[in-house]
Amino acid sequence: MANFYRKLIVLVLLITSAAGACFAQQPAEPRIMGTYASTPFQEFVKDLEAKTSYRFYYDAAATDSVTITLQAQNLPLGQVLEQALKETKLQFAISGQKQVFITANKALLTSLPDDFFNEENQKAVGKQPELADLYVQQEAPTRRSGSELKLYEIGVPGNSKNGKASLAGTLRDASSGEPIIGANVYIESPAIGTATDQYGFYSLTLPVGRHELKVRGVGFKNAKRNIMLHSDGRLNIEVEEDVRSLKEVVVEAEKDRNVRGLQMGMERLDIRTIKQVPTAFGETDILRVVLTLPGVKSVGEGSTGMNVRGGSTDQNLILLNDATIYNPSHLFGFFSAFSPDVLKSVELYKSAVPARYGGRLSSVLEVTTREGNKKEFTGAGGIGLLTSRLTLEGPIVKEKSSFLLGGRTTYSDWILKQLPNQSYKDSEAAFYDLNAHISHEINSKNSVYLTGYLSKDRFKLASDTLYRFANYNASVKWKHNFHNKLYSVVTGTHSQYNYDISNEQNEVNASTLAFGIKQTGLQADFNFFPNEKHTLDFGASTIFYDTQPGSLTPNSAQSLIKDDKLQGEKAMEAAVYISDQYEVNQRLSISIGLRYSFFNAYGPRDVYTYAAGVPKTEGTITDTVSYASGKSIATYHGPEFRFSARYGLTDNSSVKLSYNRLRQYVHMLSNTASMSPTDTWKLSDSNIRPQIGDQIALGYYRNLRANTVEFSAEAYYKWMKDFLDYRSGASIIMNHHIETDVANAEGKAYGVELMLKKATGKLNGWVSYTYSRTLARVNDAGTSEIINRGEWYPSNFDKPHDFTLISNYRFSQRFSSSLNFTYSTGRPITLPLAKYYDGSSYRIVYSDRNEYRIPDYYRVDLAVNIEGNHKIKKLAHSSWTIAVYNLTGRKNPYSVYFKSENGIIKGYKMSVFGQPIPTVTYNFKF
Amino acid sequence: MKIMNWKNTIGLFFILLLSGCVEPYLPEVMQGPNSYLVVNGFINANGPSTIQLLRTQNLDEETMPPAENGAIVMIEAEDGEQYGVHQQGNGIYVSADLTLDSQKKYRLFIRTRNGREYASEYVEVKHTPAIDEVNWEPVDGKVEVSVNTHDPANDTWYYRWEYEHTWHFRSAFFTPFKYIDGRIDYRDENDEDIYNCWKTEQSTTIELSNSKRLTEDRINKYKLLAIPSNSEKVAIKYSILVKQYALTQEAYSYWETLKKNTEEIGTLFDPLPSQLNGNIRSLDDSNEPVIGYISASTMQQKRIFIDSKELPREWSLFAPSCYSDTMYLAQASVVDYFKEGYIMPVTGIYVGGSMSPIGYVYADKSCVDCRTAGTNVKPYFWE
Repeated sequence: MANFYRKLIVLVLLITSAAGACFAQQPAEPRIMGTYASTPFQEFVKDLEAKTSYRFYYDAAATDSVTITLQAQNLPLGQVLEQALKETKLQFAISGQKQVFITANKALLTSLPDDFFNEENQKAVGKQPELADLYVQQEAPTRRSGSELKLYEIGVPGNSKNGKASLAGTLRDASSGEPIIGANVYIESPAIGTATDQYGFYSLTLPVGRHELKVRGVGFKNAKRNIMLHSDGRLNIEVEEDVRSLKEVVVEAEKDRNVRGLQMGMERLDIRTIKQVPTAFGETDILRVVLTLPGVKSVGEGSTGMNVRGGSTDQNLILLNDATIYNPSHLFGFFSAFSPDVLKSVELYKSAVPARYGGRLSSVLEVTTREGNKKEFTGAGGIGLLTSRLTLEGPIVKEKSSFLLGGRTTYSDWILKQLPNQSYKDSEAAFYDLNAHISHEINSKNSVYLTGYLSKDRFKLASDTLYRFANYNASVKWKHNFHNKLYSVVTGTHSQYNYDISNEQNEVNASTLAFGIKQTGLQADFNFFPNEKHTLDFGASTIFYDTQPGSLTPNSAQSLIKDDKLQGEKAMEAAVYISDQYEVNQRLSISIGLRYSFFNAYGPRDVYTYAAGVPKTEGTITDTVSYASGKSIATYHGPEFRFSARYGLTDNSSVKLSYNRLRQYVHMLSNTASMSPTDTWKLSDSNIRPQIGDQIALGYYRNLRANTVEFSAEAYYKWMKDFLDYRSGASIIMNHHIETDVANAEGKAYGVELMLKKATGKLNGWVSYTYSRTLARVNDAGTSEIINRGEWYPSNFDKPHDFTLISNYRFSQRFSSSLNFTYSTGRPITLPLAKYYDGSSYRIVYSDRNEYRIPDYYRVDLAVNIEGNHKIKKLAHSSWTIAVYNLTGRKNPYSVYFKSENGIIKGYKMSVFGQPIPTVTYNFKF
Repeated sequence: MKIMNWKNTIGLFFILLLSGCVEPYLPEVMQGPNSYLVVNGFINANGPSTIQLLRTQNLDEETMPPAENGAIVMIEAEDGEQYGVHQQGNGIYVSADLTLDSQKKYRLFIRTRNGREYASEYVEVKHTPAIDEVNWEPVDGKVEVSVNTHDPANDTWYYRWEYEHTWHFRSAFFTPFKYIDGRIDYRDENDEDIYNCWKTEQSTTIELSNSKRLTEDRINKYKLLAIPSNSEKVAIKYSILVKQYALTQEAYSYWETLKKNTEEIGTLFDPLPSQLNGNIRSLDDSNEPVIGYISASTMQQKRIFIDSKELPREWSLFAPSCYSDTMYLAQASVVDYFKEGYIMPVTGIYVGGSMSPIGYVYADKSCVDCRTAGTNVKPYFWE
């Protein structure tokens, strides 16, 4: 500490002497007239600052309880201060540069001891740490700031033309160098603020002059920087992690984003929150946590398929560092495919989707990995009952570049082999995923980020069928700062998803079914901050799709399986967008965006044409058109409007309104209720139209108790058209004319979502209630079959009432617990209406689709976290998580069904996790 | 041992994972307002056609399915050719032995007693190729019965099977006695054999396969059923008669959907039960649901036998077991015990060298008289 101050003193000295100032001289003090009666200290200081050209420096915490009572009749400043502070512990010092330093207990020395430059006396200087807390450095254009007490002078005095200047920089964690996303950086007077973006970058346009720049967010200590802004400049800020909140439930990073931010229908989950929520297998699972958010539903426990505000499971754009993930789960949905240690945050947009995103109708789930520790080599891991994971990270070039490597695997294969039952011994179950991330700061203007992701599954479940799935993803990003007000990110991505299913038992039918989709994309995004009122985002993107919709090949010499291959599909999706976020005034801000997307399916391919106006069947094929390679088959394009507005009612409440339209050109083919292993993706073409969705949402937001409690109420109405439904008995695998088996459905969804969150404190978490309906209708002349006579019917995930409580209570620094409760209406199902005898067996006649519901769902989960001690020096920090999923053991039905067995009909109820499931996980960090 | 338990605990996770948890469940009973017409059977292109007309019931009804009697049923060709199908039993209608022209399309026409008219679509006559083989093999403690067939003309592609299986079984106890006129007597050659019986059952599942994805029209080892080694069916001798029907693609699709809707349901990845429309319509009200699908085809059949001696020696086959008790004549009379016929004497209890028993070992009738579970008439085809 002493050393630190000494360096400071030397710096101050160098600068002040370079400026040629005479630090020993005192100019004549101004005289003060004024009356103060129990005036708060800060007001008193402001008044003095107004009356004089002197600047006051003080610690707000030390002075906030101080009031001043004083009558000054043309007294010199020194005397005024002496009188004012005589009843307090405060001391003051006045420097030659018209600076007044108020300190507690001991007055600051504003001049150096006379013998300061005498070498022998330097040690003694260290004993006077309060010599100066100020240094001014004008040379460095960008600096990393770590001290709250320093005054940072930014820019060159007099360089600002209009009295305003822009300040930009990156917010990072002081210990790891990781950028911090979504933290608020603001000044209070005038109220100007922004939130850091996904690179931790912020840009503000402020009046020149002195400001106290505040930095706020969850997971790190509140920070502030005193700046003197002369002209455009940069200030990188490092903040310290808040160790105490290590295990708090963190709902969103920005405490008052709820009310202040323009964004609505967006949830940001910090990895710490995600780790808090107990799951069935003790695995931290981001998708499970996302499913607890209001407006997000799934058909049942076994499924990771999300239904966001009434959208189907293929309407979610899942991005891992901007690369699309097609199958975000392992083991048919029981585990999410993202290893928790490498993740930083998850953002879900349910409405008011920014113009930057497009291509899916219902939501965008943006998963961001951490950059890796830029300062030191560290690792983390966990050992659970079924899986283990390990993450390593560290600097490649200190402070400049870092790597992050994460892996996770299961040892379930080994476990299966240990089981006495033969059918388990014949089973195989293996999966792993790998993440690699490299970030490198080339210089202050350029950074590059490389991400690679691989996940693989291999399953053979007591049968002769082997399932294999793989996701391959890579992305490269180049971020370039043109200047403080403009930066660009150019991203190249490649995503690939493949699966194959092999069957070898019957030699004549032995075959392999394979599916694959590849997409390669390039996009350029620009962020422009022209002034403090506007933020402009614009850019362009293009994606090339290449799918292999299915191939069936014999895999043994005796196999008679016909080599069959569906024609590959190729298409290009492109979009340009621009959006402007305009802060009209303190209360009103609006964001207007337009995205124009364009889709072109091209050859080589043969496409059937069907007679117009009659249902598409094999019998109504009128022609087959052959398209040469690269020849356009079908083109769709259209505008996607994005609009949102916020009106602040009071300082802590606001209303927001948004409208958006999205277009989706790729469709998942699935006729099962949940996401299934054999789902495939289909590109729009001349027979399959793109899906279009519109949503209008209105919300009311209010923060209570100093922003610690957030309340939000959002209502939405959504229309969707041309999403796919299926004919009865549709065959979606290896179908050469899938358009004959699908139906264009239209949907409408509406609901109200209420949420109350408490992000900090010993007790934290959230409570949400949602009322929502989702209805679908198939009423299309081009469909050979009309479901429920063309009337509206509830979709599979229409669960009107939904109540969720996620709570966390911290007993001590090392011991915390979380308790979750979920209730929802049972999902709709189709049940028998009557039975009949078919000559040998009773069979069932079904009711209209989704006319009945399974019993309501509720579940309680409990988890306890025990942290190791917080000693700084030890080999590894560890923690234990002991959790019980479904504490009450309620057999929540996943489905209710009737089956003809031995000639008679039997009713069954199936539940996925019908008893309490205890788990233990050991986590470590070094 | 401890380690083993631990492994089992983890194994439990997998069992949970893979199978979920299934329990019987009956939701609130649904009451359908209507009772729809059900049409079972097929148009036999080479033999008599049997058509069954029934009505649907509410799910909780325990009564026999209501039959539709007194209807006029006809097989009609597009050119007006007509054959009557006449009622022969409760809801059962049978045609004469017909040979239909495979170049024509036929339909089934029904006029119910209340005057409502129904007709199937006109369907083509499918020729069913012969069954090549019905095979069986022991697999994992089960007898798997499978069928092979092929169409040399490569023109059938879609197949459906039904089967009728018959097995020889014995009661748990052989008895030399009978109760007659208030006393116990020895059975003689005039008494019926109540120890050896046969039982016949029809298939209750929908068995379908197709060769559409193969390079030739061949079905290889389509598994019809698996009989556990400890089943009574294969304890002595078993026979299965497999009936094969060729289907059109539409008919196949109907049966496949019906199978998915009513048999292959109850997994995590179930397709949704889907609406099922047969090919029979009401001519009066096109919205009236009618259950059933009428195909026209020939039928092929093949029978095999499985003798228990052919089964793997290490298998422990089914041996009937029953509870028996004793009665002493000193304490009760045979009339009291055996008059009602619910229990039957099995062996006598003798003391010393006496020829007259002091009591009897007796057992429940179902343990002694095999006719309670089957017939003692040896089937005509039995080898």
